Amino acid sequence: MLGSRGGGSKQSGMVIRTVAAGLVCLTAAACTSGGSKAGGDSGTPTAGGDLKFATSVEPECLDPEVGARDVDALIDRNIFDSLVEQAKGGTFKPWLATSWTVSPDQRTYTFTLRPGVLFHDGTPLDAAAVKATLDHAVDPKARSYYAASLISAYSGATVVNATTIAIHLSRPSRPFLQALSTPYLGIQSPKSIRENGTSLCQKPVGSGPFVFDNWAKGTSVKLSRNPKYAWGPPTAAHTGPARLNSLTFSFVSEDSVRLGALTSGQADVISEVPPHDVTVVRKVDQLLTAPEPGAVYTLLLNTRYGPLTDERVRKAFQRSVDFGKLVDSVYAGQYKRSWSVLSPATPDYDKATANSWPYDPALAGSLLDQAGWTGRDAQGYRTKDGKRLTLRWPYSATMQRDQRVVFGQGIQAEAKKVGIDVQYASEDPGKLGADLNSGKNLDIFAMSFVRADPDILHFYFGSDQTVAKGGGNMFQLSDASLDGWFGTEIATSSPAAATTAVAAAQQYINQHALALPTYASSYLLGAAHKVHGITFDPTAYPLFYDVWLGK
Amino acid sequence: MSPQDTQDRPDTRDGQVKGGGPAGSPGTANLWRWLVRRLLLSVVVVLGSATAAFVALYLLPGDPVQTMLGPTGQTPALVAEVRHETGFDHPVYVRYGLFMGRLLRGDLGQSYQLHQSVKSLIFDQLGSTVELAVTGFVLALVVATVLAVTTAGRRPLLRGLASTLELVLASLPGFWIGVLLLTFFSFRWQLFPAVGGSGVNGLVLPSVTLALTLLGVFAQVMREGMERALSEPFVLSSRARGASETTVRVRHALRHAMVPMVTLSGWSVGALLSGAVIIETIFSRPGLGRVLVSAVNSRDLPVISGVVVVSAVAFSAVNLLTDVLYRVVDPRLKEAQA
Repeated sequence: MLGSRGGGSKQSGMVIRTVAAGLVCLTAAACTSGGSKAGGDSGTPTAGGDLKFATSVEPECLDPEVGARDVDALIDRNIFDSLVEQAKGGTFKPWLATSWTVSPDQRTYTFTLRPGVLFHDGTPLDAAAVKATLDHAVDPKARSYYAASLISAYSGATVVNATTIAIHLSRPSRPFLQALSTPYLGIQSPKSIRENGTSLCQKPVGSGPFVFDNWAKGTSVKLSRNPKYAWGPPTAAHTGPARLNSLTFSFVSEDSVRLGALTSGQADVISEVPPHDVTVVRKVDQLLTAPEPGAVYTLLLNTRYGPLTDERVRKAFQRSVDFGKLVDSVYAGQYKRSWSVLSPATPDYDKATANSWPYDPALAGSLLDQAGWTGRDAQGYRTKDGKRLTLRWPYSATMQRDQRVVFGQGIQAEAKKVGIDVQYASEDPGKLGADLNSGKNLDIFAMSFVRADPDILHFYFGSDQTVAKGGGNMFQLSDASLDGWFGTEIATSSPAAATTAVAAAQQYINQHALALPTYASSYLLGAAHKVHGITFDPTAYPLFYDVWLGK
Repeated sequence: MSPQDTQDRPDTRDGQVKGGGPAGSPGTANLWRWLVRRLLLSVVVVLGSATAAFVALYLLPGDPVQTMLGPTGQTPALVAEVRHETGFDHPVYVRYGLFMGRLLRGDLGQSYQLHQSVKSLIFDQLGSTVELAVTGFVLALVVATVLAVTTAGRRPLLRGLASTLELVLASLPGFWIGVLLLTFFSFRWQLFPAVGGSGVNGLVLPSVTLALTLLGVFAQVMREGMERALSEPFVLSSRARGASETTVRVRHALRHAMVPMVTLSGWSVGALLSGAVIIETIFSRPGLGRVLVSAVNSRDLPVISGVVVVSAVAFSAVNLLTDVLYRVVDPRLKEAQA
């Protein structure tokens, strides 16, 4: 999706918290405990304190089933619990559900719920509450843009008894449990769904470690500790209520202002440290990083109309850009060049893709010669029958972040060296949407999508995932080989079969240059030394349940 | 501005009109007729801006519903649902009629993205923007007055210095001034908050930034007005009667310098509103500017047109006020109309 949602709606993944914490420590000097200049209080966690977190965007809606922005989920994770928690190796741990069974045809999931769980309004958690949340997610009136698409196979639920619910699917869906583990399917108080109606966005009521306190529009969202909380997720470092008294998210859109707020002690934690300011943060505070799973920032290529229908031209473009050098210089070594559309932090990422399509301008040149683009015009661009080799790449300026415009200009400059005219230009979002609908007026469209499940590949390239069908297949690619692997990936009950299928799809996309993966980003979080216990969930969201403040 | 020897005694003139007779006398009737005409004109301006906003949004390329939903996940069912809910399934003239009808009833509609009423959204944020705009404006006006009174017609060095400073301020972007102020007064010396600034403390840096962007123009215009007034015969006659320099400048010349300032105040509503957009973003302040930026980014049409209408109302109101103020500051106008 474009922009806020194009930045990537996040879903969770398979790296459990302890592993994520380990990854944090791999980046030197970024360790929460070791190597930091924290006072001598890093040993015993203490309760109390108010944490101020400055993040770049304001949520649109805190109803987890409706809000689709990253920041919606980031905040909702503290207010809402999920049925299951995603754990290492594609397994799932009990959370609000203590156990579950899957029917042999994989179309019915039966969950047993944890007793004694209370929503913030005092309503107890029961099977009817779970059904109310799922029905709300797929209710067209609720206008869920994202949660509904995650559980598109959901066909209804049966309340077996107060603590048992049977969820029915219209078709087998391997990513279903993973979808349930995300904040986007956090369980809401049924009383709140019934009574708050259209104002659910402003009045979220869940069962999580923090209770929604208030939302000062344009300024901040404040949450306070839920003193009754006794049902934390299994991989958390402690049990019982959260340690912080309160958690305030303020919205500071300017990168430099967020950074200044952190270094001057006005914010305890900030999101999205610009890659070039990482050294500043390391000098004064701590830098915590988590690699983001999902589809990396990828150039999707138009294989239906225009010059890129010729595979030789696509491969020439693929080999004409020195992505390694470009990523290093634009992102100051903080983001890594990616060889696969799946980021290395995604389950079933295929290591064999590494170095499989190195920079090779000579090869690019000969491929273009073979494709008949042998002429040259006055500006040095290649021509065929007097027509210049032009690739149109429009983007929406309001939705660019992370220096992507500079990065795009870098690609443009590299392609020019082999004679390809990449027309990288800002376009009105409405015009861009119309171009995407027709598919005839653009050759390249770029986006990333944070999601900790390999099914994101299916979402990008499956012929059943075109935009009109609710997917992200922007150029309506229809490829029988890919569809076969996606079919296996979605329906198999064998993790090994899914891994093999996803690996084959990743290699196939590179071999036929259907898309150009560029860089894999990391969540870069700046935190004051007094902040302890920040971990990341499988989607690279920071978690606050275990967090405590030292001196 | 032709020299008139009565200009240094405007109170007398004022008295003439005020005491022009009971209601119904020609002067008062003219005043009312003028006021009603101006009010009607304001209504036309507001309705005209609402129409212009509607047309501009209609002319934007692309399907508004699909743009709103973003490029992925557009199932036909969802598109149809949203199209129906937002009224885009009606032809454009019906939509225009509905829009204007709602507007006349004071209903600004429902935000597509934020799932809340536009009226409450705007009025929740309006106070914060007005607070910023008024403080910034008053600050700029006071400092510009002091600068103009003290430096107009003074030694070239002093005058030149003040004038250069004003020109530099007038050409600096507000964004840059804001970041500079934050860097020193918030990040380095920690005198004022950079985030979540509520209350007076949080208002200082944003309003100073806004004032600095206006100050250059204000002071330049005022000094020129002062200098023109100081060169007029009535100043000479006043000095000849033994008035001190301060009395001449503050009591006589300043009033003349205020006339173009009133015009400038009307103009500055636009500058204040557009300045607020930038300043609210840098200082993370709530307000109309931020609402507008996020609405434009997410194509939230009811919010965009709501902000346009509210801005048009503010613009008309202030311009009406300036026209009234003219008559207070410059009695010659009243005479011309009466």
